Amino acid sequence: MWLTSPGAAEGVPGRLLYRGAEADVVLGDWQGLQAVFKVRKPLTYRLASLDQEIRRQRTVHEAEMIRHAKRAGVATPFLYHLDLPASTMVMEYIGGEMLRDLAGCMAEKDAEGPFFKFGEGVARLHASGMMHGDLTTANVVSREGTLVFLDFGLAHRTSRLEDHAVDLRLIKETIVGAHPGISRTALDAFFRGYEARAGAPKFRRVRSQLRNIERRGRYARVA
Amino acid sequence: MKSVVIGVESTAHTFSASVVSSDGKILSNPKSVYKAPPGGGIHPFEASQNHLAAAPSVISEALRSSGEDLSDLSAVAYAMGPGLGPCLRVGAVAARTLAASIGVPLVPVNHAVGHIELGCLLTGAKDPVVLLVSGGHTMIIAYSELRWRILGESLDLTLGQLLDQFGRHHGLASPCGRAIEESASRSNHYLRLPYSVKGNDVSFSGLLTASKSLLDRGASFEDVAYSLQETSFSMVAEVTERALAFTGKKEVMIVGGVAANKRLTQMMSAMAERHEAKVLAVPLEYSGDCGAQIAWTGVLAHRSGIEVPVAESTVRQSWRLDVVDIPWRG
Repeated sequence: MWLTSPGAAEGVPGRLLYRGAEADVVLGDWQGLQAVFKVRKPLTYRLASLDQEIRRQRTVHEAEMIRHAKRAGVATPFLYHLDLPASTMVMEYIGGEMLRDLAGCMAEKDAEGPFFKFGEGVARLHASGMMHGDLTTANVVSREGTLVFLDFGLAHRTSRLEDHAVDLRLIKETIVGAHPGISRTALDAFFRGYEARAGAPKFRRVRSQLRNIERRGRYARVA
Repeated sequence: MKSVVIGVESTAHTFSASVVSSDGKILSNPKSVYKAPPGGGIHPFEASQNHLAAAPSVISEALRSSGEDLSDLSAVAYAMGPGLGPCLRVGAVAARTLAASIGVPLVPVNHAVGHIELGCLLTGAKDPVVLLVSGGHTMIIAYSELRWRILGESLDLTLGQLLDQFGRHHGLASPCGRAIEESASRSNHYLRLPYSVKGNDVSFSGLLTASKSLLDRGASFEDVAYSLQETSFSMVAEVTERALAFTGKKEVMIVGGVAANKRLTQMMSAMAERHEAKVLAVPLEYSGDCGAQIAWTGVLAHRSGIEVPVAESTVRQSWRLDVVDIPWRG
């Protein structure tokens, strides 16, 4: 899925690193620095007015949220430049491996370390009064042992328990759905990491809210 | 040796029976569909009365038009769930009776798995990201390690419920999908509605409330229907696109009753094109509830040795598809 056709994203010279659901991520040059261009291109299947508003909103949000996450002590890329009319962000390039790819080939016992750290990072974000909104294992990159959080396009400032639980729900869905082979250890380590940083009372509350959300799901039987 | 399986579907508004051969030929697929009164939804008891009256003739017709004989059946499959209790029980009683009287195994089938497996048979999909959109489900699904895994879903209403409840508010009778699609095609005036994507999941309840209140405040049905479709389908396309980008798969298969909507398929095609993925849509006759989805999945399950003694052949109103083992995909 890592496409390599040069110049594949219009307007931005460079190598297409990744075509995500809502943006092309292009590796290029910015003032002599190696940089990532995140270009939210128009989605033709969406109505133009709706599409434009969603892209603009998410680009603005993402820049604000990256700044906020950094302040909370969570590793994120540095933001170099913002081009709103083109819905484009220019950011530091993070070399490293996606947690998704690491998880895809690790033994179950090796899931402990990275997923514990993953849980700690998410607890930090929540404690600072925000939700990430898109916490899949493809949006966390391991660089020299540090987990760097990417893609804050769906992030929001919020301290609502429900929102924090929605974050956990997506992580659980991703771990169980996409990494079934290591899911037991990974999920357990994630929750312990979260608890270690957030504290037991907050963890208990957010976990019980997670159960409430799962109960609302179709045909759900929650243990 | 070739064998044939009869499948009985009765999870909601449709009672259907179908005979399918072990090499995947659908030999018959008659159905009887309960019609809800205008402005109303499926009344579970009323629907079960329809099924009770229809069961003998639908099952006889399934056998007769298949050209097979009772003695040719190697198993009886039935939709064990999920669905409406009274409706499920009618199908279960019919299937039990049939299996016990001719002395063949009874095979329980999950209705949602049935939609997916029949879709794969008919479209030739090998390893798809599945969009299951109906009155009972709105889920993004892919197979991995023995099970169909849920990668995203609606957190509240299903897409079918959203369309039906909106349509009923306007006085239409369920299912309202086709009438809404027709009305929507006469408008291109977009009214702003809430767009709610939460990670890989969608939420439709706010969208329903806002759409109803636009109608109440005098907006034209065509305009609201158009805006509702554009908004909800965009949300579904976005989360499907996320699953596609995340898994890197190259097929998107649309199944379930709402798969009949052309605007949805068109949006999905435009989305899939960006990822060089193929869109596979299940033919109309088989995209909604039908006996063939149960019979074909029954063939696969029976081949893997799955059966249930009559004494334990209950129904399960709540039965998520991600707890069902799929031994035939290994």
